[in-house]
Amino acid sequence: MKMFSVAHKTVFVVDHCPYMAESSRQQVECDVLTKSRAQGVIPLAPVSKSLWTCAVECSMEYCRILYDVYPKDKLVNYIVSDSEFHILNSWRRGDQSTHELMSALAAVGPPNPREDPECCSILHGLVAAVESLCKITELQHEKRTALMDTAERVANRGRIICLTNAKSDTHVRMLEDCIQETILDQNKLAAGSDRLMGIQQCELVLVHIYPQGEDTLVSDRPKKEISPLLTSEVHSVRAGRHLASKLNILVQQHFDLASTTITNIPMKPTLNVCEQEEQHANTSANYDVELLHHRDAHLEFFKSGDLHMAGTSTRENNFKETVTLKWCTPRTNNIELHYCTGAYRISPTDVNSRPSSCLTNFLLNGRSVLLEQPRKSGSKVISHMLSSHGGEIFLHVLNSNRSTLEDPPSISEGCGGRVTDYRITDFGEFMRENRLTPVAESSHDPSGKVPVERAKAQLERYTRYWPMIISQTTIFNMQAVVPLANLIVKETLTEEDVLTCQKTVYNLVDMERKNDPLPISTVGSRGKGPKRDEQYRIMWNELETLVKTHAGATDRHQRVLDCIIACRSKPPEEEERKKRGRKREDREDRAEKNGSKEMEDKSWQDSERLKGLLEKGEQDAEVIKDSPDSPEPLNKKPRLMVDEVQPPERAKGPVSLLSLWTNRITAANSRKHQEFVGRVSSVNNKFELYQHLKEENGMDVHENGKASR
Amino acid sequence: MPTVVLMDVSLSMTRPVSLDGSEEFQRKNLAVHGLNMLFEHMASNYRLEFTALMAFSSLWELLVPFTRDYNALQEALSSLEDYDKTCIEAALNGVNNVVQQEWGSGCPCQVVLVTDGSLGIGKGSLRHSLQTLKHRGEDKKFPLPFPFPTKLYILCIANSEELQMTDAMDNLEHLLCLSGGDGQIFTMEGPLCMKSVQTMFGRLIDHAYSPFHAVLHCGNLSSDVQVFPRPEPMVVDEEVEPMPRAVSTDLEIVGFIEIADISSPPVISRHLVLPIAVNKDVDEVGAAATDELEDEPSATQMAGKSPNFCVLLHGSLKVEGMVALVQLGPEWYGMLYSQADSKKKSNLMMSLFEPGSEPLPWLGKITYLGPVSEAAENPYGEDDSKSPFPVQPPAKRSYAQNVTVWIKASGLQADVQKILRNARKLPDKTQTFYKELNRMRKAALAFGFLELLKGVADLLERECTLLPDSAHPDAAFQLSHAAQQLKLASTGDSQYADFDHNIAPMHTDFSS
Repeated sequence: MKMFSVAHKTVFVVDHCPYMAESSRQQVECDVLTKSRAQGVIPLAPVSKSLWTCAVECSMEYCRILYDVYPKDKLVNYIVSDSEFHILNSWRRGDQSTHELMSALAAVGPPNPREDPECCSILHGLVAAVESLCKITELQHEKRTALMDTAERVANRGRIICLTNAKSDTHVRMLEDCIQETILDQNKLAAGSDRLMGIQQCELVLVHIYPQGEDTLVSDRPKKEISPLLTSEVHSVRAGRHLASKLNILVQQHFDLASTTITNIPMKPTLNVCEQEEQHANTSANYDVELLHHRDAHLEFFKSGDLHMAGTSTRENNFKETVTLKWCTPRTNNIELHYCTGAYRISPTDVNSRPSSCLTNFLLNGRSVLLEQPRKSGSKVISHMLSSHGGEIFLHVLNSNRSTLEDPPSISEGCGGRVTDYRITDFGEFMRENRLTPVAESSHDPSGKVPVERAKAQLERYTRYWPMIISQTTIFNMQAVVPLANLIVKETLTEEDVLTCQKTVYNLVDMERKNDPLPISTVGSRGKGPKRDEQYRIMWNELETLVKTHAGATDRHQRVLDCIIACRSKPPEEEERKKRGRKREDREDRAEKNGSKEMEDKSWQDSERLKGLLEKGEQDAEVIKDSPDSPEPLNKKPRLMVDEVQPPERAKGPVSLLSLWTNRITAANSRKHQEFVGRVSSVNNKFELYQHLKEENGMDVHENGKASR
Repeated sequence: MPTVVLMDVSLSMTRPVSLDGSEEFQRKNLAVHGLNMLFEHMASNYRLEFTALMAFSSLWELLVPFTRDYNALQEALSSLEDYDKTCIEAALNGVNNVVQQEWGSGCPCQVVLVTDGSLGIGKGSLRHSLQTLKHRGEDKKFPLPFPFPTKLYILCIANSEELQMTDAMDNLEHLLCLSGGDGQIFTMEGPLCMKSVQTMFGRLIDHAYSPFHAVLHCGNLSSDVQVFPRPEPMVVDEEVEPMPRAVSTDLEIVGFIEIADISSPPVISRHLVLPIAVNKDVDEVGAAATDELEDEPSATQMAGKSPNFCVLLHGSLKVEGMVALVQLGPEWYGMLYSQADSKKKSNLMMSLFEPGSEPLPWLGKITYLGPVSEAAENPYGEDDSKSPFPVQPPAKRSYAQNVTVWIKASGLQADVQKILRNARKLPDKTQTFYKELNRMRKAALAFGFLELLKGVADLLERECTLLPDSAHPDAAFQLSHAAQQLKLASTGDSQYADFDHNIAPMHTDFSS
């Protein structure tokens, strides 16, 4: 259905003249006496609805179905006509609900039988309806504003459903002529106005209502063209259930709806479909519930000509057709992803009947039901599924044909399929952190980016350094790095975050001093793998790579990088000194670095806290994972991969106070201790010279690797 | 999208092609040559496509049912025989049967019709079929348009001048138009020879069988992929802004959602996402891995061993039960997920949503989905016990809000009985009694059904007289209070018949 078809705007014009107060002569027994109480009680006389009541409740039912299936932009304007017209609502989206309309109808009340019939006419309402069709709706306005140059593509079509009691065929013709003239007049008016739109097409549906047991004075007439602008059809219907089923058919025609009957619904207490109250009724009985929905949900049946097989039944007394689908057990769970080709909102035809409300409540509680298309052969074909989302029930169309994608090559056969140590769990964690959530449209972000762009920006930050396999990384295999790795990817850091990151770094320094083992992959090297100090060098390199990719973001990010550079840049002699275990002094040193000058006290507290943290960290520092089924040796050294992703260094920016301070301290320390190298680390007064050359050679390999790229 | 190759084997296809010197060819040879080229291309670049081969003259025959075995197709081509005259209508009926039997009526198909442009004579000829189009009964309808979406490619072993000399071109254009207009007529350029037939089939391959390559991004992680079948461009059928949309070659992941939250969404098509070797001169396609690998560590083998983002993503999506929301272009989204077709084989799949800003009502507008980290409080809860989805619509549907409908007498009776049932259990059921009473009152006022209010008032008064001696004294007070209020409302006097007014329980002192 097109966006601006006649279905976009529907005007109900309901006759409120004295005649409508007449009884429909269809009686309803509302006093149903139970046998035990029947003695000696005179039952209440049956009540009967007026023509007005019949018209109003059927039109409300029409609106109910319409709003259920099209919650947006299929609009109704409700007008009541007696000696003047009363417009009960507007085209505004906020006015579109049955509750609004019922409230307005209650204010109008039933027609006054004592009013002068000569003053009253449906014409007042019809003229108002045409005027109303010229008024622009929110959607029309939005589209016209959005299109600018091609605004004329926004059409203005509409439908008038008139519920009245006409006097004769001539009277009907008079009404049609009058509408035609009003359209011409209004279009002239609209041509000169920005707020009005001329009517391009108007469909008049006139429903003549007469009481039961009377003969109609107006004859049915199929749709005919009165003018290029106006078509008209006449339905002559008895009040009561005939009117109700007529309007039910009309709403289906007007809004491309079709009907599905769900059959074999078990209402057993075990299935919890039914409330306690009615359990005694007949526990084994199966019920049917009829639903209306967009007719595309049956597209497959129409196309394949399977309609008959699908169990179409033509009900007596009306022309309505329904496709029968069978309730199917076992039910489905919601963690299964079905291949679904369409989902359409539904509305039960008989909304507050017991079976309907049992079914809808069952679905609203979050359960889904598969539906089966009955076939003569007895084979099961599951063709649909009922499921609710956010309090709305949808009929999902499931694909029941053979898939053209069957038997595809498995992912393990393709590129990267032979690699066995992907960081599947880590990426799972990454996905959880990058889940999406709806953001209120009113909330404004200072960056001016829409939420989905911010989500993409977050993905970008989180993946600046993200090795895909376990053997490519050291730091992500270390529990001790987790706090820093989690924080550094953030867009902005708080002071506390920086502190946490620094503590993580100090913790690593401490591990290094204690010579804790690292979860370095031994893949690719024979024997025991790299030496311990080499391992730490790899780890520090990797950590630096990670942090460097974020250092440009804010000064606080930069401070974390500075901290790493400062902590790892200790010359070998100091490492040696540390091995001797002058822990206490070290800690003080660090506390000094950590704290700012003017807060000596705080730095002490920090160092105490740090102590606790370090002790805790030691326990966590164990290897958290390594791949037991690591693949055959890779010929690359992991750190080469690290180098690959190294981004250009941060452009020279302002240097933070902390980094200035730490650099100075480091420099001072190294100067102080330089001459003690041999003495401090000598064994039996002997000391191997040029130890550091070996390490530098190691470095050379590394540098070369880098240079060759 | 499966392909049916429909090969004309009528006698006219055996017409020799005039060539200066060398060997003599028939048009059929040219056609076979072209089709072999197509099949070879598909075998190496498009091998997941299911293809069937049909031959037709006045009758039709399914030579090879839908298969991915391109050797079988080529073999069948080599043993074609020659038959009588061309009858396209019968052949199309055959296509209709074969396709519907295999794939149903919803699966889009490509039909490659190879003919020489002599479209038969007399009854059964295309000209005759088209002329009689409008004078047919329901049972003898022309097979086009097919019930399934079709792309019709007509390859003529003839050049366009030859076709335009007769009405053949007009008829073929009419045929294409009948099939829905999606497709193309290819003719040969220059002299009929091997070279020009290759050019023609080359154009078909470029147009319809070139693999769709894209790059899948997730922030800085990425992978080169082939998307199979090719996502077709589509026109969003919006009357005001008909805009053609095509899937971008950069597929950008925007975030992740639980399977339970995305909840079997409707999709317009499904595609395999196959990682391909970054090295461009390697013959791509994941399927290549199934090839026998004669030569030593081939590029594909190497590719198998270097980590690929698709494999990582697939593994984690599968383990976590999640999908990745992926942006396909402006205001067009899809989802990536792990799909297992048996216990052993699983794959990365991509489903495309309807283009637009809000393809799934229960997710809301996609542009308004943001990262969880921005929320003040984790919407998934600290232990993943909650979810921000589904997004609730602003209004409840009728079935979720206890509406009153009295179209059937049973609806009215049930509501009245409910009031009476509660009336008999006063004062225990005071709240429910008034709730039901007020619901009935509201509906009666809206429908202008004042007679009902009076009737129910009478019923309540009668209940009052029938109260047993053991009844709580409050019951009688409440019943007569309710009856009196209903009577007042039934006058229609605006003072008492206000829609938003509720009858409140009477204050009594028996409550102790």
